[in-house]
Amino acid sequence: MAREVFFPRVTILGVPIHAMLVPFPIACFTGAMLTDITYSNSPQVQWANFSQWLLAFGLIMGVLAAIFGLIDFLAAGRARPRIGWFHMGGNVVMLILAFINNLVHSRDGWTGVVPTGLTLSVITVLLMIVTGFLGHRMTYVHVGEPA
Amino acid sequence: MTWRALLASAGLALALAACSKPHFGPDKQYGANPPLPDPTQYLFPPMGIAKPIGWGNAMPAVPAGFTITPFATDLKTPRRVLALPNGDVLVVEGDSPATEPTLRPKDVVFNLVIGQAHGPTKAANDVLLLRDTNGDGKADQKSVLVANLFSPFGIAVAGGKLYVAETDGIKEWDFTPGQTSVSGPGRLLTALPGPPIDHHWTKDIAVSPDGTKLYAGVGSNSNIVERGLEAEKGRARILEVELPSGAVRPFATGLRNPNGLTFNPDTGQLWAVVNERDELGNNLVPDYLTSVKDGAFYGWPWSYYGQHVDIRVMPRNPDKVRAAIPPDYSLSSHVAPLGLAFAPAGWPANYAKGAFIGEHGSWDRTVFNGYEVAFVPFAGGKPSGPKQHFLTGFVKDGKARGRPVGVGFGPDNALYVADDLGNVVWRIVPTGTAPKT
Repeated sequence: MAREVFFPRVTILGVPIHAMLVPFPIACFTGAMLTDITYSNSPQVQWANFSQWLLAFGLIMGVLAAIFGLIDFLAAGRARPRIGWFHMGGNVVMLILAFINNLVHSRDGWTGVVPTGLTLSVITVLLMIVTGFLGHRMTYVHVGEPA
Repeated sequence: MTWRALLASAGLALALAACSKPHFGPDKQYGANPPLPDPTQYLFPPMGIAKPIGWGNAMPAVPAGFTITPFATDLKTPRRVLALPNGDVLVVEGDSPATEPTLRPKDVVFNLVIGQAHGPTKAANDVLLLRDTNGDGKADQKSVLVANLFSPFGIAVAGGKLYVAETDGIKEWDFTPGQTSVSGPGRLLTALPGPPIDHHWTKDIAVSPDGTKLYAGVGSNSNIVERGLEAEKGRARILEVELPSGAVRPFATGLRNPNGLTFNPDTGQLWAVVNERDELGNNLVPDYLTSVKDGAFYGWPWSYYGQHVDIRVMPRNPDKVRAAIPPDYSLSSHVAPLGLAFAPAGWPANYAKGAFIGEHGSWDRTVFNGYEVAFVPFAGGKPSGPKQHFLTGFVKDGKARGRPVGVGFGPDNALYVADDLGNVVWRIVPTGTAPKT
């Protein structure tokens, strides 16, 4: 049986905007985890400041990526693969955690990172590994040629 | 996709749960040994911003037996008042240096929120001389004594000198009360820690009764060392400055943001009011009034109210915590005390020799606190009863009509209050006091 495939709706010269945006939250949230770990071992406040900017920028870019991804996914109609629902659900949870993590990191001093902030940063990255895999699998299995 | 809404509301519920601690009234925290609730770490710290509306034709309310008049209006953020022996009143108008760099995303959001509390008036950076020549309780002469200072705040006149504390140093001019001008740009007595960060920028000063020393308050560079401990070198303390040499030594440390430096005329002791740390809760940490003891350490940043450790400061410092002493008198949490003056013996018996405190008013609290001139009775040079509301009405319907800062008594037994939002200096006298001559 031939698989139904879809192609993202929102693109620039054939390149999906969603695909261009997703590296930012991935890199930012991973970076925030690393600067959190460094801060918790130092504690030099500048590392916590790096974490805060990475988390804030990661969240903004993540929300933008989510919006374009959602449009592409809804526009796929009957070709919508089930794996996309898991990719989306996991990432919504991940972004909510990242939002809460931004609030935790806005606290002044040590407790902005240790223990809650650091814990959330690690969970965010672990969740991202799973949702990233789901996203890639969807791309390589369910996304076809541009119409 | 209702599960998505569910998740969102779960996140919100988690955030709100942190804010739902029961309050107790600020009056429970007046005096020595105030109850201190457990510190809370918030996702959204409690806040309450009073938007400015100004006074219109209204005036603050005084207790029965007192009369209030607007001594001077249409000022530009008056912060400090100093009444001279000849009846002239010096007023310091000062503006934040606004040099603190944006370090975190929080600073961006925070400045937007706090900015709502600021009035429309552009602040000046001058020392004004106000004179009431016809004795009607209103100044009819106004001149600029010193212009274009760098975020001035503290002011003192003693021993033939005028001292003004700019945010980065104390300057002096030859001055005798009665003069209406000073000459030259002033001589730098001593430099003080200033910009670029200068988080708490107000430098208040007082000259000792014997005229040999000047004391200067230097506030911390942060709420709770979020700019690093290195940024706090030489800060959160009261300095002793030798006169006339300008030599400096730390007099008392661990005072987060000390203002209202005033000598109690009864005992000759130095007193101050101190703004304590934020974001631990509606009722943490109480701001306080205290006598300032030579060599004492009052806790900031490692602990508050004696030896209550602040877990937000890393690395910890158990030695400093052990050395910390509690202050004398809690004014309750987040009232933002900035001014202090002791009533002369000529005031009505209930008030004579007690402390009047200009409380600028809270932001880090869901219910407003402060926004008044409060009174603490004194006996034998020590606080002797609960704090009372003296000058009130600064908040109406959740909006700020004014905010009191500096307070000071004149030779005419009048209490002068600088209102930096209403842009007024208020004059309060016991009713029946003979008009000025």
